[in-house]
Amino acid sequence: MLETAPADFAWSTAGDIVAAVAARRTSASRIVEAALARIRARDPLFNAFTAVTEERALARAHAIDDARARGEALPPLAGVPFAVKNLFDIAGLPTLAGSKINRDRAPAPRDAALIERLEAAGAILLGALNMGEYAYDFTGENVHDGPSRNPHDLGRMTGGSSGGSAAAVAGGLVPLALASDTNGSIRVPSSLCGLFGLKPTYGRLTRARSFPFVADLDHVGPLARSVRDLALAYDAMQGPDRDDPGCADYTPEPVGPLIDRGAQGLRIAVAGGYFKCRSAEAVQAVDRVAVALGAGRDIEIPQAERARSAAYVITASEGASLHLDRLRTRAADFDPAVRDRLIAGAMLPASLVAKAQKFRRWYRSEVLKLFRQVDAIIAPATPCTAPLLGQQTFMLGDVEMPLRANLGLYTQPISFIGLPVVAVPVPLSPLPIGVQIIAAPWREDVALRIAYALEAQGVVAAPRPAI
Amino acid sequence: MTRTPKKANRTKPPARRRAAKSGVKSTGISAGKSTGKADAIESLIAASAAALALPIDPSWRANVRLHLQLTLAHAARVDEFPLPDEIEAAPVFHA
Repeated sequence: MLETAPADFAWSTAGDIVAAVAARRTSASRIVEAALARIRARDPLFNAFTAVTEERALARAHAIDDARARGEALPPLAGVPFAVKNLFDIAGLPTLAGSKINRDRAPAPRDAALIERLEAAGAILLGALNMGEYAYDFTGENVHDGPSRNPHDLGRMTGGSSGGSAAAVAGGLVPLALASDTNGSIRVPSSLCGLFGLKPTYGRLTRARSFPFVADLDHVGPLARSVRDLALAYDAMQGPDRDDPGCADYTPEPVGPLIDRGAQGLRIAVAGGYFKCRSAEAVQAVDRVAVALGAGRDIEIPQAERARSAAYVITASEGASLHLDRLRTRAADFDPAVRDRLIAGAMLPASLVAKAQKFRRWYRSEVLKLFRQVDAIIAPATPCTAPLLGQQTFMLGDVEMPLRANLGLYTQPISFIGLPVVAVPVPLSPLPIGVQIIAAPWREDVALRIAYALEAQGVVAAPRPAI
Repeated sequence: MTRTPKKANRTKPPARRRAAKSGVKSTGISAGKSTGKADAIESLIAASAAALALPIDPSWRANVRLHLQLTLAHAARVDEFPLPDEIEAAPVFHA
């Protein structure tokens, strides 16, 4: 069959691209060429990419097209362009992790494990994406590379720290991006840019050959414009990896065949207490999702505010420990907003940090008890829609709060104990906002099933920006 | 072995926790409002910077102090929570 489909596929899902390539309605090369053209045209607006791997991408696309011409079976993500937060190693490039300092690093000798796994599944890497320095950020602003810009309003934040990942997917440059989430860096930008984001269970996806932040809190996962795309990418990336000491030894559990089973029969509750947001948009978003799922019951996540504090303390201390030498020798080369927090973190008494880790054990035990009563918990992802670039504070009810430290108010108590979450976008006007679907450890399938059911009902969707 | 504290929320709070409820922070360094506590923060910054060989430009000091106060306030919120002696820390470690 001749290639007859439109060459762009800018707003197509990964699943649609795979189907079009397999059916010869287009080729991997045309998909990649079109994506590269979009990046050239639109990325100056979004500031999502810090490096574009054009030659490599075209070579891989040709290899896929050649395999197709030889009649070989195509892998599950054949021809799907993707890009990665610039803390993932890309062979031949220094791994920036959003910093100026890391520009002096030697080029990475090998790709990050998740890039290798996605490319083994036929996906095609297009480049590296902007992020908050060393991932210590919820805004998506970067003093060295400039802020990533929200495609729904270029004067607003993407959220961070995976700001470029969110801008690239929400802006139609790529259908899929990889990101990391220590305290909310997948879920916050998903919320502010109107995307689906999966933060899997701690230990599920390998972080091998990615630049760390807080090793015992760091997660990695995908952002996409559909739940099916999250599942496609997630299934391609699962599996143990001895190169990541935190990655669990487990048998992959593909979710692709499970996500369309509906949410019927699942026990779903709304997080109460600490998570009862006072912002109108967050309340509206959670209510819409709760009504659609028939989740009439509230459940209290015990000591959630204290859990957030403990995550804050551990992050400050371990982040500082990671960067101690750089703080001694190159302090002036940090983003000042990051540097001063790290210096403060280095001064925390160890006894208080150890207490936070002990509290973590108690909290985990208490929260796991809740999953005897429910299969999933709904909570807001962010306390507000996308703030303006440069904004320093926001109003939560009638309380003015510092923005940078508090955008992760509702995400931190969840990642603190490694629970899997799908952030789903509620397309409010004028700006979207996300809701967290939280499941028990190792039950990504439950969160994705619920997200898929909501998407099928039209309650959640990644809105297309008016670019 | 991990054990849940016995009715952590229902037991009589320790003196330190009662103090926190009354609005007085449990650790002197975390409150930072009175002159003495402000001095404690300054002392901690000076001593830590010296002990860790961390250079702090004078123009950064106010922000460092702000972040240290905020982080210590979070730490105090954790510290005031009663935990059983037997509870173990949570980080993942694989031998």
